[in-house]
Amino acid sequence: MAKVENAYRVSKMSWKKDFKHNWGVYVMFLPIFLFMVVLHYIPMFGIVMAFQDFNINLGYFKSPFVGLNNFVELFSGADFPRAIGNTIILAVLKCTIGFVMPIIFALLLSLLRSKKYKRTIQTCSYMPNFVAAVIVCFLVQQFVKQDGPITLLLHNLLGVDNMNLLADPNPPTFWIIYLVMGIWQGIGWGSIMYVAAISTVSGDLHEAAAIDGASRMQRIFKITLPCIKPTVMMMFVLGIGTSFAGGYDNILLLYMPTTYPVADTIYTYTYRNAFGAGVSPDYALSAASGLFQSIVGTILLMGSNYLSKKASGSSLF
Amino acid sequence: MALFKDRKKDVDRVSTMIEHPGFGDRVVDVVVILLCLLVAFCSVIPMWHVLMSSFSDGRLLMGTEGLIVWPVGGFNLDGYVHLFKNSSIIDGYTNTLFYTVTQVALGFLIAAMGGYAISRQTRLKTPMILFLTATMLFGGGMVPVYMVINALGWVETPLALIIPGCTNGMFCVMMMNAFNAVPGEMYEAARIDGAGHFRTMWRVMLPQAMNLGSVIILNSVVGAWNAWLPASIYVPQSRHLWPLQLVINQIINENKDFLNTGNPDYSKYLIQFAATIAASAPLIILFPFFQDKLEKGVLGGGVKG
Repeated sequence: MAKVENAYRVSKMSWKKDFKHNWGVYVMFLPIFLFMVVLHYIPMFGIVMAFQDFNINLGYFKSPFVGLNNFVELFSGADFPRAIGNTIILAVLKCTIGFVMPIIFALLLSLLRSKKYKRTIQTCSYMPNFVAAVIVCFLVQQFVKQDGPITLLLHNLLGVDNMNLLADPNPPTFWIIYLVMGIWQGIGWGSIMYVAAISTVSGDLHEAAAIDGASRMQRIFKITLPCIKPTVMMMFVLGIGTSFAGGYDNILLLYMPTTYPVADTIYTYTYRNAFGAGVSPDYALSAASGLFQSIVGTILLMGSNYLSKKASGSSLF
Repeated sequence: MALFKDRKKDVDRVSTMIEHPGFGDRVVDVVVILLCLLVAFCSVIPMWHVLMSSFSDGRLLMGTEGLIVWPVGGFNLDGYVHLFKNSSIIDGYTNTLFYTVTQVALGFLIAAMGGYAISRQTRLKTPMILFLTATMLFGGGMVPVYMVINALGWVETPLALIIPGCTNGMFCVMMMNAFNAVPGEMYEAARIDGAGHFRTMWRVMLPQAMNLGSVIILNSVVGAWNAWLPASIYVPQSRHLWPLQLVINQIINENKDFLNTGNPDYSKYLIQFAATIAASAPLIILFPFFQDKLEKGVLGGGVKG
């Protein structure tokens, strides 16, 4: 029994004894430790370059510090504030319309009476999740190009000009395309959480309400939705927290210089300044905009988590 | 009493029996079915359009507007012939296969060991968990990461595509939860019998934790197969290292110019559609087989860390 540890003995164990018994555990932690130090923690210190006039030949230690100049440069130009504006708009669309669509779909599925139909429809709806970003963007280009199926549909129904909609630099077009693309990719896959939550709602509640004469619509709003509220809140927190940071890489495949005014986001701005083709890389500026995005993302995640804890008692951390 | 027997299995059947659905309910039913079918239709039709386009005749297809629901001008495979004459697509397949296998194997090994380490009762348990959760909350951004990888000399080598994305803090925490759920007796029995920590993890604990483990593996496979951004950042110059998705993107982009050549071969118009199908087919054909497991993964990912 000498080797067996348990919770209450560990707290009393001396460090020496702990290492003697658990060195194997620590050795197994070593790979992920090195991985995280090299690829997450060292880059965190690498953000000093956001405050430097960074030169890749001089490195972190020799590049001169310039204080907040990079940020001043970012915010005094026209491009970065524009990118912030677009990021906010796309994030808000994603967290509102994009967020409720999977919930509505899950509710619709729960109203289907036949389990076989339900399964088939679910399988179909998952498919877009497995289509690669490159392909999704190609599909979008194909469907909204001049004479593309969606362009023609909108042209005939709403009188929209028959043109390549992706090349339209006027405000709502690109945002709508991006939102619809996100919904198309995520509606089935995003509904899994809610379908599972709905299936755990007790049948007794539904039965009692039905006996008392509640219609199915009433039961959805009075029983199902309140019951899945914790799940919804949790996903909402996660959605807000990640809305600012991730998921904008697709735009790199969809935008073009003429649509930068509506399509450029912080993420694409960061990418373009560091790795864009045909541009001399400005790593410091790019790091500064990346840092700005990271900070806002972290604040959003912590903030929405805190609010959700206050409001409903459910939280992510 | 059959009513109560079925209750747990199918909520809606119970309520139907009680309600004796009237006209209003039937209307709701029809609307619900139509909306669900619409979602399913919209999910499938874009790939169908591309599949049918890829089997069409190039010249006729160019002149056809709107949705392609059946091959235009008869069934032919010219697009695929052109596509596979291009040796870069074969390279793309082998590269993607190689990256996917190595990345997933390495990443899973690291995540399993890390998850095991933070699931054991040691004095450093809490600091280790905090160390991993911090990485989920804040990151340095893509440029500082690029600088580190550049300093390591990994740029323009396969290492930059395999190692940086292979695992993350979330996977470790998921594995920790999986190991926590394994009965303590199994662990103690193995330890008493003299198995070392690695052998205990690999032979005794991991088989019990493979439900969640296989989910992590499947998710990593999907992610690795579909990735294109890391390659465009880390190996933009080395075309022979490009994964399939980047090759496809390149083929689609280069293909846009073929009309400008003197005597255009219209069947080249089909290449982009064939490429799209070639890149997506493996996952789309395979995913229904793993659907249940993957669904569980979405649910497992929401476990409190």
